[in-house]
Amino acid sequence: MLSILSAVGGLILSPLVGGLLTGVDRRLTARLQSRLGPPLLQPFYDVFKLFGKEASVTNAWLVFSAYMTLISSALALLIFFMGGDLLLLFFVLTVGAVFQVVGALCVPSPYSNVGAQRELLLMLAYEPILILVFVGFAMCTGSFSIEAVFAQDQPLLLKMPLLFLALGYALTIKLRKSPFDISASHHGHQELVKGVQTEYSGPYLGIIELAHWLDLVLILGLCAMFWHTSVIGMATLVAASLFTEILIDNITARLTWQWMVQKRSLLLGMGLALVNLLWLYVA
Amino acid sequence: MNTLVFCCVALPFAVALVLYFTQLDRTRKLLVPAAVAVMALAAVIMGAHGTFRLEAETFLGLPLDSLFSMLDLLLLLYILGLGWKLGSRTVMGMTALQLIGLLYLKFVLADGSAPVTAFAPDGLSLIMVIIITVVGGLITIYGLGYMDIHEEHLHLRVSRKPRFFAIIFCFLGAMNGLVLSNNLSWMFFFWEVTTLCSYLLISHDQTKEANANAYRALWMNVLGGLAFVSAMLFIQKSLGTLSTEVVLHKMTAMDVKTTAMLLPFAFFCLAAFTKSAQVPFESWLCGAMVAPTPVSALLHSATMVKAGTYLLLRMAPAFADTTMSTIVALFGAFTFVGTCILAVSQSNAKKILAYSTIANLGLIIACVGINTAASMMAATTIIIYHSVSKGLLFMCVGAIEQRIGSRDIEDMRGLYSKMPRTAIITAIGIFTMMLPPFGMLIGKWMAIEAIARATQAMTPIIFFIALGSAFTVLFWARWAGILVSSANLHDRPAHGNPKATVMFALRSLCGLAVVFSFISPLVLETFVEPSVAGVYARLGLKTEGFIPGASLTGGAGYFWIYLLFILLGLGAWIAWKAARKVSNSAHSQPYFSGLTQEQAGQIGFKGPMNAFEPVRLSNFYLAQYFGEGTITRAIDIISTAFLIVLVGGLL
Amino acid sequence: MGFVDKMIKRSRLKSPWIVHFDCGSCNGCDIEVLACLTPMYDVERFGVVNAGNPKHADVLLVTGTVNHRNRHVLKQIYEQMPSPKAVISLGACNLSGGVFKDTYNVLNGAHNVIPVDVFVPGCPPKPEAIIDGVVEALGVLKAKMGMGPEPEATLMPGDADVPTAAAGPEGEAASEADKSMKNAG
Repeated sequence: MLSILSAVGGLILSPLVGGLLTGVDRRLTARLQSRLGPPLLQPFYDVFKLFGKEASVTNAWLVFSAYMTLISSALALLIFFMGGDLLLLFFVLTVGAVFQVVGALCVPSPYSNVGAQRELLLMLAYEPILILVFVGFAMCTGSFSIEAVFAQDQPLLLKMPLLFLALGYALTIKLRKSPFDISASHHGHQELVKGVQTEYSGPYLGIIELAHWLDLVLILGLCAMFWHTSVIGMATLVAASLFTEILIDNITARLTWQWMVQKRSLLLGMGLALVNLLWLYVA
Repeated sequence: MNTLVFCCVALPFAVALVLYFTQLDRTRKLLVPAAVAVMALAAVIMGAHGTFRLEAETFLGLPLDSLFSMLDLLLLLYILGLGWKLGSRTVMGMTALQLIGLLYLKFVLADGSAPVTAFAPDGLSLIMVIIITVVGGLITIYGLGYMDIHEEHLHLRVSRKPRFFAIIFCFLGAMNGLVLSNNLSWMFFFWEVTTLCSYLLISHDQTKEANANAYRALWMNVLGGLAFVSAMLFIQKSLGTLSTEVVLHKMTAMDVKTTAMLLPFAFFCLAAFTKSAQVPFESWLCGAMVAPTPVSALLHSATMVKAGTYLLLRMAPAFADTTMSTIVALFGAFTFVGTCILAVSQSNAKKILAYSTIANLGLIIACVGINTAASMMAATTIIIYHSVSKGLLFMCVGAIEQRIGSRDIEDMRGLYSKMPRTAIITAIGIFTMMLPPFGMLIGKWMAIEAIARATQAMTPIIFFIALGSAFTVLFWARWAGILVSSANLHDRPAHGNPKATVMFALRSLCGLAVVFSFISPLVLETFVEPSVAGVYARLGLKTEGFIPGASLTGGAGYFWIYLLFILLGLGAWIAWKAARKVSNSAHSQPYFSGLTQEQAGQIGFKGPMNAFEPVRLSNFYLAQYFGEGTITRAIDIISTAFLIVLVGGLL
Repeated sequence: MGFVDKMIKRSRLKSPWIVHFDCGSCNGCDIEVLACLTPMYDVERFGVVNAGNPKHADVLLVTGTVNHRNRHVLKQIYEQMPSPKAVISLGACNLSGGVFKDTYNVLNGAHNVIPVDVFVPGCPPKPEAIIDGVVEALGVLKAKMGMGPEPEATLMPGDADVPTAAAGPEGEAASEADKSMKNAG
């Protein structure tokens, strides 16, 4: 019971953390571009404003998809906080991703459709890596349960450094950071407008943004699992991952989707994961 | 028990005979549902009763064993004649070899060996019987409505429906016989009946393409039959019996499994691979798409392809803990990823479904190859849920095709505005294939867990499975998305749903898929787990580390499934309510850089000279990377190499 | 709900997302708009984001001469922005047609097509003027929400003929437009 309560509590706190982290992200990005950047609470202003806007929808399925995206993100986070099963977590994450695609495809708009197709390619790129990383956890702990990870007495980073890199790789894709922001660029005035998010507006865009915050928290949580033995270690990993993501985001240009499929993700990411898995298997 | 077995096996053949001579539509429409109901009831009662053994030496005064021998020979002679008619040396040669083998088996090897228990189904067989009669039965009922429209389109002078339904009932009876019978030579008879039935059904429309594809199905399956006969010969020679039960007992009792002992099982694998259309034999199942939809649905979900996986699952304990088993697992995983990739390049809905079927069968075979209690449970779960979902999806595509005249998913864009209920059911069908908390995903979850816990060649297998799963999401998600594509806020289309029998079948299967997913812990506990545990207990196999239900993270696994189902269901309901609530005044056109225009209900751009330019969209099919032409050859070569290693490695 | 309402209203003033539509200007104004995003001026300090999509935007920045060809586009972009929203008309051409005023294909200002809240004159206006325009637009928004007084119109010397209020959507100009549309082809 206590675990459920604390999980729900964590779930309620997560949007706050996610929003703040997004604020830090925007501020840091601005500093990297020698700008001052928006206030730290800017993401909250944005989302509050969006919730206050008039609804304007092309297809009711868009609304359905927006809600489903948020619900699955929240559910994935709940599973994480309750120390549930990693594979289950992965499958629930897939629900959110699939509904993002469905939402983008349900409007006959070229921008969102191209975005959806590219989003599918992104999923193709990160999903196998995530599964392999989770299998790596299972090989180290003997179970897919998150609780089992925290029962270990050695940080897992020592056993699976390459898997950590592969995870970081997959997460860059999942967060749609540059160079992998091919399905919904941060800069809405480019060729794709906003890709999968083009047709969402007002409160429904706010919902999608909220889901994105939750995903961010979940993903950083997954990173933290690699050094679960000390709080400082977890904080270090989270900070390092976040900073690296932002840095990469700022110093790279977007890939074409062909690059995405052929060279970058499938070969590099899965290669890293595979080498580490083989090592775990032999050791 | 006698009656129940009779209802499941002999009754369909009798019904088929009556149907063949019935020209009246009305009689058929009464007889088919009645027969289906009787069979399904019998199957469910049989399933509830649990495993049993039934000696049956005579049938209507005839000695059954001789009867089956006679029928075997007659059937092979018929196929030989068929080969003659088609002018195919391949079919004739292979059938002749089968005949010789069978005669040698009956008159030289098996002469005077101990009688074999007629029926000794285990838990898996009972599950299969229920699937065959319930899912297959619903597909048959669907066929009633479907074939009416189908023949209307063809403008036939004489209806071919009597023949069609007669063959379908033969098919169902043969499948039931196959899974229930204990004697391998009886099983072989039913095995060949399914081959013949599938040939007749695929060529049903008698077009040039249908005949060519039916021929391909025939020769590939005859090859499988040949492998089956060879396996029987070797088994009779080495173990001196054709009883599945005894074979399994003898094999599992062995400490060291020699090459000679394993060879027949390699042949069984070969037979199963042809029947289950694994690469490189996948082309017959893809070609089978030319047949009327009930046939495709039947071939893919309840019958035919499941026969191969059934055989493998049944025989799996015999070759546990061998290198051969590992090769089978690798082969299955390779088929999974190969056909998932092929499916990505397809826009033909039936082809997507076909490749996805082959992929899932590959996953089942990978689980069989892993050969632990957990992986067996995963395989059984996937068999159950795959049958329901895939049967449903095929029937949806058939209904859609009859309405819009195309089976291309690009033409299904915005289907929700034309046939809302069918579109929703199709979308649900797609989600049951790929998303939690539905049964297929639970099966896949168990499979990944089982593979991660196995020690043999785990890394490449999990690599294949991970890659394949991602491709699966790719081709399902985009199909689901474009079904609801529309520029209208709330589509309120006129009613124009398919015929009553079609809709009945669609709704029942859709309901089954959802309800069965919800009670999946119950299904796992009452069907899957006892079936696997029973086999392991009977054969005295070590079930070390096998806690019933453990493949779902221990006892708590069930809790997660319910929690997930309830929360996601609640979430979907809230989302649905919210979507319904959006008022019409909130409608806006999609963003086309300010050039949106609507004309005659169609959305588009304002083009040059103020001309209306309708919006045209298409999915990425990535044919330059994943096209059939690009990679089929490579997949065939690699898979043939696997087969050569499988059989050749033993010699 | 009072708190949430207040939060939303205050957030609106802190997060004006902009969509920029160029009706065919000489790019002078557009360069100045982009200059606002550079480190020199950094409008993101005020939460301004160049959204590039009317469905995400709160403020429409229009530049260039509005003509019969693009007035429909301008109108549709305006209509696709969900309320509450504000419009800033930028540069001489957009205010009145500029040097093209009264030519056969020009509509003499965006205010003839959509209701404009703030006019920023200049050829081109300086980035400071543009930022000031956005701040004025926020004042208008504030007034619309009943949180403050209507900002006073500041007229430039010699600008007596600048329209003081948003003109009706399409009056005489529209029928005139249809006629010349045929000529324009």
